[in-house]
Amino acid sequence: MATTSGNGAKLRIEDVSLSFGGLQALADINVQVKEGEILAIIGPNGAGKTCLLNCINGFYRPQEGKIIFGDRDVTKLPSHRIAELGIARTFQNIQLYTGLTTLDNLMAARHIHLKPNFLAGAIYFGPEHDKEIRHRRVVEDIIDFLEMEAIRKKIVGSLPYGQRKRVDLGRALALEPKLLLLDEPMAGMNVEEKEDMARFIIDIFEGQGETYPDTPILRDGVKSIVLIEHDMGVVMDIADRIVVLDFGQKIAEGTPKQIMADKAVIKAYLGEEE
Amino acid sequence: MSLATRLETADTLPKLLKYNYEKYGDTKVAMRVKQFGVWQAYTWKDFYDKTKYLSLGLMSLGLKPGDKVSILGDNKPEWYCAELAVQAAGAVATGIFTDCMSNEVRYYVEHSDSKFAIAHDQEQVDKFLTPYKDREGNEHPPLKDELKLLKKVIYWDPKGVWNYDDPILISFNKVVELGKEYEKKHPGAFETSIEKVNSDDVCILSYTSGTTGLPKGAMMKHGTMIQAAESLLTVERWEDDDQYVSFLPPAWIAEQAFGVGGSLLYGIEVNFPEAAETVLENIREIGARVLFWGPRNWESVNRMIQAKIIDTTRLNRLLYHMFLPVGYKYTDIQEARQKPSPLWRFMHFLAHWAVFRDLKDKVGLSNVRMAYTAAAPISPDVIRFFRAIGVNIKQLYGGTEQGLVTLHRGDDVRPETSGPVMPKVQVRLTDDGEVLIKGENLFCGYYKSPEATEEKLRGGWYHSGDFGHITEDGHLVVMDRMADLRELKGGRKFSPQYAEIRLRFSPYIKDVLTIGGGDKDYVTCVVNIDLDNVGRWAEARRIPYTTFTDLSQKPQVIELIKTDIIRINKTLPEWARIKKFANLHREFDADEAELTRTRKIKRNVVEERYKDLIDAMYGGASELSVEAPITYRDGRKGTITTALKINTVG
Repeated sequence: MATTSGNGAKLRIEDVSLSFGGLQALADINVQVKEGEILAIIGPNGAGKTCLLNCINGFYRPQEGKIIFGDRDVTKLPSHRIAELGIARTFQNIQLYTGLTTLDNLMAARHIHLKPNFLAGAIYFGPEHDKEIRHRRVVEDIIDFLEMEAIRKKIVGSLPYGQRKRVDLGRALALEPKLLLLDEPMAGMNVEEKEDMARFIIDIFEGQGETYPDTPILRDGVKSIVLIEHDMGVVMDIADRIVVLDFGQKIAEGTPKQIMADKAVIKAYLGEEE
Repeated sequence: MSLATRLETADTLPKLLKYNYEKYGDTKVAMRVKQFGVWQAYTWKDFYDKTKYLSLGLMSLGLKPGDKVSILGDNKPEWYCAELAVQAAGAVATGIFTDCMSNEVRYYVEHSDSKFAIAHDQEQVDKFLTPYKDREGNEHPPLKDELKLLKKVIYWDPKGVWNYDDPILISFNKVVELGKEYEKKHPGAFETSIEKVNSDDVCILSYTSGTTGLPKGAMMKHGTMIQAAESLLTVERWEDDDQYVSFLPPAWIAEQAFGVGGSLLYGIEVNFPEAAETVLENIREIGARVLFWGPRNWESVNRMIQAKIIDTTRLNRLLYHMFLPVGYKYTDIQEARQKPSPLWRFMHFLAHWAVFRDLKDKVGLSNVRMAYTAAAPISPDVIRFFRAIGVNIKQLYGGTEQGLVTLHRGDDVRPETSGPVMPKVQVRLTDDGEVLIKGENLFCGYYKSPEATEEKLRGGWYHSGDFGHITEDGHLVVMDRMADLRELKGGRKFSPQYAEIRLRFSPYIKDVLTIGGGDKDYVTCVVNIDLDNVGRWAEARRIPYTTFTDLSQKPQVIELIKTDIIRINKTLPEWARIKKFANLHREFDADEAELTRTRKIKRNVVEERYKDLIDAMYGGASELSVEAPITYRDGRKGTITTALKINTVG
């Protein structure tokens, strides 16, 4: 379990500002992600949602402010270090090795847990072989959990969009993160696929207990999830708390009920009443 | 060890399990299931132990001889273990199809008086725990509250279920643990219980969806199940290293006979696919040698092959089209029971190595030694296709109540028939053409429904409700359900669909309507030619034509269609043969309400619209001048006049 700072927040985003030249993408954003919650970030197109995720996992470096994960300042860390610390994400425009199979994509994600040893690797049999099996076991549990048996050996580039999204989620899980960032996991999906995905997100959050006794990430679940999503129905159903961004500003924060009644949010989404 | 000795010591399914356990122990694989991407093997010892402790666990929960247990799940080793565990305790297992809704599950569990339900996963468990609506839309409380006899719901896949806290739930593994505890206090309980059950005890209740009324539970005895599998051995050779892939629903009698029976009697290795979507892939991995598919499975694999051929390289396509006729010719020679000449043997050898070998490998059929189809009408052409590429596919006829009735033997496979009657089985036809069956393979009655039993089992003959006839050399041809038949003037019955299904498989016939019944004393049909294929055929033979109407009335085209009808007529009894036909001058059209949008013929509309033509066919005219109203695509209306030839078949 990740260490959490004094006030119970697993991730603290403090006064973060990001601009590209004259464009202010994020302005003084303060958001906390607590242990044991699904936090949704919503907002109109161009509100800065994905920018915020990119700051958290180190793709962008904010000009001002701090991002603290557990009790460690990760603002200036490169993204691979942040991944190693336990923040994994999925992408709006899926980022996978399209020429590899589902299985290989997931195995590749295990690299941060591999401690390669050149000599042992050259010999392979023995400890390296065991290691491979151990990691494969985790990956197979994830395949079982996400019901990807039928596409295990399929080349990812040949899969339909909805399934690639699922592989992308599997890849993020294979990193065994403590904080999971999901960037529009349901975009472009039909109703049934959305329902499946929503179910998976809730199941990941809750953990699956004795179903996967040997894979801690599935057994215990990921207790902090940040979700960017446009489908309000889904957000209202599965999020514990919602943060609303508009033009790089945080305009509201609260429970789904509070957000639905919030005037500023309605204005941002529907325009001003005449 | 021969089968005979096996049967002397073991006259029930659980005794067979024990026999195999003692014979093979840990040295031979009984089942395999693909899990986590790897085929996990269960030896006979694993199979036996799991069954034993589950059975003891159920006993400790209160299962008594004669009780019923419902099993709902996909094909997994746990299904087989659950069934045998129940039977070992002297109780009766009843399978429920996994796609049943809560209200249907309620009917089966309630009607069978099930004390326990063994369910696969969350989907099945939820059917017992969540409120549901019946067909009329009435709200019901969860089944667990409605079914008073139900004591426990046992699940084997904990995914999504593990944190449910309903007291009626218990996991499969937990019951196995209870069984181990129980054995400490009651040593030998399992072995004693197995010995108490004998071949006259009922082992399964198999629900059949009657065409009338509610489903009925056919009771099967241990002896019957064993007899069914045993009679198969008298005509087929299964070996204990044969690989079988289990994916027919275990609630269905065919899986009981082939999977459970084959495994226990012959020791064939049963392989359970990973998921429904991976079945074909899994069959290929395993290299299945014994395969039982429904017609739809064969049809879809056939279509898959056709699609692959279209996508393949030119060379491959060329080879395929060059050698497929060789395959057909070779099977024709075999079917005619002639010896192929050395030339044909050589050609067939070439075809095998050039095309069929790889083709079969791609779809996982390389190792198939024996393939079966049954259950619904299958077009003979599908069978011919698979035989042409070298798959030994056979048709059989049987069912829950009647057991295995007919099966093709050796090389004597005829695509139109279901094969000759099995040994120790008697088949006879009523004057109406209903198939009646007698023999040891019959069920022993419907559960709690003596009236239905009496109605179907009269004088020891099971009235199948199937319409068929027996060819001169003893092959049974089952054509349709009696209820779907029409009656000719003389009182003889015929099946309109039977001929239609077969005629439609001709590439030259797009649609066909067979006519008869009522006041008519023979059968006729109206044919829609397939413009693309007949057009191409005509071009290749330099037969000039202008329009669809013109093409349809060309003497050569009429001959072409006649050849197809004559071929189908050969499979029909004398009175049901098509005597006359006409090629229609236009296509049946959904815009004209002659077809439904899914391209099924609206019989009444078409018969009404072409009444003149039909009258002419029965009136003895040789030609009919027709003027038909047509609606153009842009909505304008018009008429066309043309002379339709009425053709008499040989």
